Formats: sequence, structure tokens, C-alpha cells
Amino acid sequence: MEHAVEMRGIVKIYPGTGLRANDGVDLLLQKNEILCLAGENGAGKTTLMKVLYGLERPDSGTISIMGTQTPIHSPLEANRLGIGMVHQHFMLVDEFTVAQNVVMGKEPRRHRFTYDLVTTEKQVAEVIDTHHFSIDPNKPVGKLTVGQKQQVEIVKMLYRNVDILILDEPTAVLTEQEIESLFVTLRALAAHGTSLILITHKLHEIKAISDRVAIMRQGKMVGDYSTASVDEREISRLMMGESVSLSIDKKPYNGEKRPVLRFDDVSVVRRNQERPLLNKVSFTAHSGEILGFAGVGGNGLGVLEAVLGGFLPITEGTITHNGEDISHDDSADLRRNGLAFVPADRLSVGSALSATVAENLIIASRKSYVNHGVMGKKRIEERTRTLLDTYSVKGRSHMPMGTLSGGNIQKVILAREMEQYRDHIVFSEPTWGLDIASSLFVYEKMLELRDNGAAVILISSNLDEILALSDRIIIFYRGTVVALLEAKELKQVTKEEMGAYMLGLKRQEGPNG
Amino acid sequence: MGEERKRMRFLPAKLARNSVGALVILAIALGVLVILSLLLSKTPGKTLRYFFLGPLQNTYYFGNMVNTAIPLIFGGLGISLAMRAGSFNLGGEGQLYGGAFVATISALAFAPLGFLGGVLALFLGAMTGGVLAGISGVLRMKWNTSELISSFLLSNAVVLIVSYLIAGPFMDPETNLIATGKIPESLRFMRILEPSNLSAGLYFALIAVLLVYLYLQKTRSGYELRMFGMNPMFAKYGGISVHWYRVWPMFLSGAFYGLGGGMAIFGTYYACMKEFSVGMGWNGLAVALIAGFKPVAVIPAALFFAYIESGARNAMLHSDVTFEIASIVQAVVFFLVTSSVLQQIGKKRRVL
Repeated sequence: MEHAVEMRGIVKIYPGTGLRANDGVDLLLQKNEILCLAGENGAGKTTLMKVLYGLERPDSGTISIMGTQTPIHSPLEANRLGIGMVHQHFMLVDEFTVAQNVVMGKEPRRHRFTYDLVTTEKQVAEVIDTHHFSIDPNKPVGKLTVGQKQQVEIVKMLYRNVDILILDEPTAVLTEQEIESLFVTLRALAAHGTSLILITHKLHEIKAISDRVAIMRQGKMVGDYSTASVDEREISRLMMGESVSLSIDKKPYNGEKRPVLRFDDVSVVRRNQERPLLNKVSFTAHSGEILGFAGVGGNGLGVLEAVLGGFLPITEGTITHNGEDISHDDSADLRRNGLAFVPADRLSVGSALSATVAENLIIASRKSYVNHGVMGKKRIEERTRTLLDTYSVKGRSHMPMGTLSGGNIQKVILAREMEQYRDHIVFSEPTWGLDIASSLFVYEKMLELRDNGAAVILISSNLDEILALSDRIIIFYRGTVVALLEAKELKQVTKEEMGAYMLGLKRQEGPNG
Repeated sequence: MGEERKRMRFLPAKLARNSVGALVILAIALGVLVILSLLLSKTPGKTLRYFFLGPLQNTYYFGNMVNTAIPLIFGGLGISLAMRAGSFNLGGEGQLYGGAFVATISALAFAPLGFLGGVLALFLGAMTGGVLAGISGVLRMKWNTSELISSFLLSNAVVLIVSYLIAGPFMDPETNLIATGKIPESLRFMRILEPSNLSAGLYFALIAVLLVYLYLQKTRSGYELRMFGMNPMFAKYGGISVHWYRVWPMFLSGAFYGLGGGMAIFGTYYACMKEFSVGMGWNGLAVALIAGFKPVAVIPAALFFAYIESGARNAMLHSDVTFEIASIVQAVVFFLVTSSVLQQIGKKRRVL
């Protein structure tokens, strides 16, 4: 039987760095199967898929689609061959309707020139029906949830009659429930005759969805396995090249416990918006604890992050830091007061990609390198080298930040913020998109800070992470605190129960916080 | 140490890579010039010879060419400062003209103060340009008004007002020109390459380039300005004052234009003539674009622009083409530098 995709001996070397992102990789995709392409950050998964989708040209190697060998020079050519790719970051126009987004670039025409909106709607509705999606073709994309936007991206590919679909980390931005429904969709697609490749590094997802798993490490293909024949531990070992325990060792904190950051009935109301973005939120973060915040996207965690970082002014309530009122401080004031902050959006908030690594590292501490207005280059250089070393960042001080891999960018941000920390630190989605080794490193550092008496605020959509690390957990639903789980309750709480709080099915009685 | 040496070795290669785009643009512009000469001139060979070699044939022409570049260097620096902070200053025309005017009348008023009066006049000229551009920065900061539009509109108004002032209250009745009186001889810059017009203003221009370079690369404020320009969100997150860096770079940018205007008066024109500076503001913008907003690269870019201008003047004197040929070539350059595609040629693609 011929394969849907057969890649042989793919070599891709990035010019400039000389990095062999793909080093003689073979990949087989059978028809109607779901294949997970797994590996650590920087293992070369995305590069391999970019080669398949015509976004990168391989330095050597061959690709055969449905048994015919063919070079692929562009995504358009890939589409023509029946290959589609859904990127990690959506490429949609918020103002356009679902149908208009789907047909973009391949619009049905009437009289050759005019855009046929009626046919557009009909055709897209048909695709949506055939594959049992639950989106309204006439709704503007801006009004959809993240999960629905992803469905639009998939429909976009199906509309183009794609029978080989690549999804780059499709679950990274989804909630547990959305992931489940995505998996239902993907299984249905496979049953319909589509062959799928999922790039992922989440072990339980590999087990849940795939027929086979292909594992890459450092630009090479380690091998492919029938998913039933390997367990999570084995996959992890193959990805990492060594056995790593996934459990986190947490010691009890015996130091002084004092309130560091305190929210009292904090609300954020925006004009023209019925529901407050934050509604009377109260909590206190103490020294020596990790206070976890959980919630489904769009329920106020992002707003909380913006408030903590001084990006969004609050309309009501007070925020105090060590007893001092900081309710109306902006980012610059907060920084002066010793705020350390790891933002969720590491590319557009946490770093300047065209600036050098050194310049990125000193942004919050820049004043300490100044002598009569002049920056001490040597001291910056030395400090940078030490930090890159301590945090094992693969990169040099003078390299532009944008040339580093995602994991290394995050490490630079972590290094900067952890060094900047005085008594409290905010982490928002700190391990989003990081591989296991890097995530463990972040956890270790976070616990180290806590053991040294820091008030750590952890905002994360990753429940495993929240449950494993937090000393207390606050759950948000529609901008309010619906539950505060104390240490003793955390021992018994299940993910299902947390899910019920997060979806607003359940809420704690009595005053919160 | 080894690492440092390796970087030094790669520097020329990097420089070449970064300037490929600019060189392609210059080649196309000069190609257009050759074609125009072939089409428009009866003696294209002669025209081209005077165009290309004229500015270099003797110290007189060469000095005049370099002299033309001086205000362009100031303008180019001004634009670069604004652009590095992510602000657009399209008001160079008015800022330069206004700065020149204020510098002239201040020099006339402060003549009794001697040297100090000259310094004060140049300072006030710079402040005039700075305040004009700064207004756009303040509007941007307060109400998020596009500084690109407001600086352009404001500048157009200023040009008219200054022209009125020169033709009206401040006109020197003793000359037949529409111009202010001449600044005292003691304040005029020394000629440094007789018999040409090249003045000591060149030294100031070179010092200004050095200062801007040091400011951007070595000082804390320069660092903050660059970070703000590269990613305002990141700058805000890092605790940099967003308000300040909306206004300050615009102010600096206008101040350099204003200073450039003052330098043109003190070094070359001595009196502020009506509309003497038409085009200098825009050419400053083009120079900055060619230079990729790098202060040091502003020098060759300004010289190139001046070269085209004096080449055309030469060809006009000795052959049968008009001065407009320079405007066309400059327009082509302007048009091409704004095409970011060409600018990106040879630059390393970002590896994600």
C-alpha cells in the first residue's frame, strides 16, 4: 500500500547558525491514521513539517505524496497536493465572518470577477455540516472562542479538499473541554479518510489521540511506534534520551508567613461592557507560598495578569503591597517597588525580539548598570554571561533575541525576572510551549523562590501544573473568585471537581478570598 | 576574547549584507539617471560626464557638494532618532525652516553678545524645531493622535507663517531679496575649503553624528528609547515611561532639524531667505531611510544625496539638461527606499 506521505533523508540546515534542524529524517504517514510527531523544543518537529508544507526548502532528501515523488516549493503547491497545515497561531481576520475567512484566497466567483457571498456561505455551511462542526458560518470570527477559531482553521483546510492535515501544537491554547472536542473532531476526520499529523509534546495527548507516534530528538528521528505498544514513561524516555520523573518534590515551608500582596474587592469595569472584567476580587498572597490561579480562558485570568503587571487600571477596590497602597501604580511604579513578572505573552510583552539577549536581560535592572547616564557595557556583558550560564540558555549575549528558540527565550525572561525579584513574583503560563526538561527547570526555580520566602503568584491554564505546585488555589469564573482551595483541601480535590468550578457549575459558599 | 575577535571579523560581511538593499536602490536610481540623460539630452555623454564627475572635478564643486550634505546630516539624524523610537516625524520642512528663521533673527538680536549670542541663537533655533515636533509628540501621548499626520500639517502651516514673517515684518529693506537681514560676520562659520562654500558646520555635523551614536548605544536614555521603538509593550512592561518616549524622541528629532536649519544659515546663507530650505526636510527623511536609521550611515547617505544634487547642477551648467533631473533621481530614490522589500534584501531572515 502506498503511503500518504513518505519523507526520506530530509536535511535542513539553517544558514547563519549552521544548525542542523533536520538531520536525515525519515517520516511515514499512512492513510487514515493519526500520527503524533513528538519531541522536545528544538527537536526539529516544526521544521520537518514546514518542509512538508513548502515553507522551508530542505537541503537534501525527497518527499512522496500518495506514492508520487514531488518537490514542494510553497504552501500553495502543498494545498494543491492535498496537504494542509493549521498553525499554532491563528491566521484569521476577526472582522470577517467564518465563511469569509474560510474561503479567503479561494473565493467562489460569479462572472469571474465578483465575490459570490451566497455560494461562499452555502459551500462553507456544507463543509461544516459534513464534518459535524458546531460553528455558525455567518458569525464574525472575532466573536468566537479560541476553540472555535481553531475549528475555523481546520474548516479552512477541509474547504481546500485537503486529505493530509498537519496541526502544530493544536492543544496549546485550548481548555480541557475544548481539547476533548477537538479530539472527537480529529477522530471523525480520520474516519472520513483524512490522514493527520499532530505536533505535540504532551504525553497523555499522544496516548489519547494517536495511532502511531514518531519521536524526534535533536534533529534526528528516534523512531516510530504504534501508540498502543509504548507507555507514557517510555515515550518520555525516548524524547528526553533519559528517564525523568514527572513528580515534583515539595518541602513544607517553615519560615515566616506574612501578607505581601493583597487585593480588596478589586473590580475592573470597562465602558460599553455589561459584565465587569474583574468583579470584587479579594485575596492575599503570603510569603513562602505559591498561590495558584486557575480558570477557563476569558474568565478574568488575563485581566488579573494585566492588573498585576500595571497594564490595566482598576476601577474599584484597593491593592496593597507590604501595607502600602499601590492601587493606581503603573508598570514603572510597580517595577520600582520590586515587581518581578513573567508574562504569558513572552514574544510581544516579555521581550523585544530584534534587541540583543543582553538588552533583553537588563530591561528591569537597567538603572543598576548606569554611571552618570552611561551604561556599563562590560558589567552588562559579564552579568549576561553569568545569567545565560546559570539558566543554561543556548544563546550568546549579542545575538538578537528573535534568533533563539521559544524555550530559550522563556529562559532569558525567567532569568531576568527571577534575578529582579524582591518579595513577590508573578508567573503567567510559565511553561506554555516548553518541553519537559525546561518545565521542570522552571518548577524547580519557582519552588526555590518559595522556599526562600517569596510570594509566588502562578496563573496557569495547565491544571496539572497548578495542582502540583500550588499551596493554595483560587479559581476564577466570569471575573469573580468562585473557589479558594486551602492546602488541606488540595489533597483531595480532583481535576473533575476543579473543572466544575471553572465552568461555573459549582461555587464555594460564603465570602471568598 | 576569541569570541570578540570572531565578531570583528564578521563585521565587514555583516555590513555588506545590511547595505545590499541600499546599494541596489542607488544602482536603480543611477540607472534611471542614465536612461533620462539618453532620452532628454542631445549630448548624453557630456551630460553624464558632468553629472558623475562634475562634483569631484575641483575643490570648489567638491566643497559645495559636501556643504549641501550638512543640513541633510542633521535632518537625517533627527529622523533617525524619531524612527528608532517608533515615531514618525514628517514635519522636517517646517522644523528646519522655522529653526533657521528663529536662529537668524536671534543672531541679529543678540549680535551685541558676540560669540555667546551665536550659541544662544543656534540653541533657540534648535528649540524651535524641537517644540514644533514635540507638540505632535504630546498630542500622540495625550490623545493618541497620529504624529505622522499632525507633524506634517503643523509643518505646512509653519512654512507659510515663516514665509510671511520673512516677507513682512522681518524683511531687510536694503536688499532686493525676500530675506531677513544678514547675521553679523563675527558669527559666520569659517570657510574650511576655499574657494568653496564648505563651512566649519561640517565639523558640527560630524560631532552631532558621533553624539547621536553615543547617545543611542551607550546611554540609559538611548537604550530606553531603542527598546521603546522596538517593542513599546516590552518597554512599558520593563518599567520605561511610555509618555516620555512619545514626546522626547519627537522633540530631539525636531531639535536636530532646527539646528540643521541654523547651521545652514550660519555656514552658508547668512540670511534667512524665503523658502531657501524647500526640500531639505524631505531629503533628510530620504537620507535617514537610506541609512536605515543608523546615525553613522547617515553620513554616506547624505553625501550621496548631495552628490546627485550637485551633479545635476553641474550637468545643467555645462550641458543641456535642467535641474529637475536631480529631483527625478531623488524622487526615485525616495520611492524605492520606502519599499521595505528592497530594504530587507540580504538581511537575515528571522529563524523562529
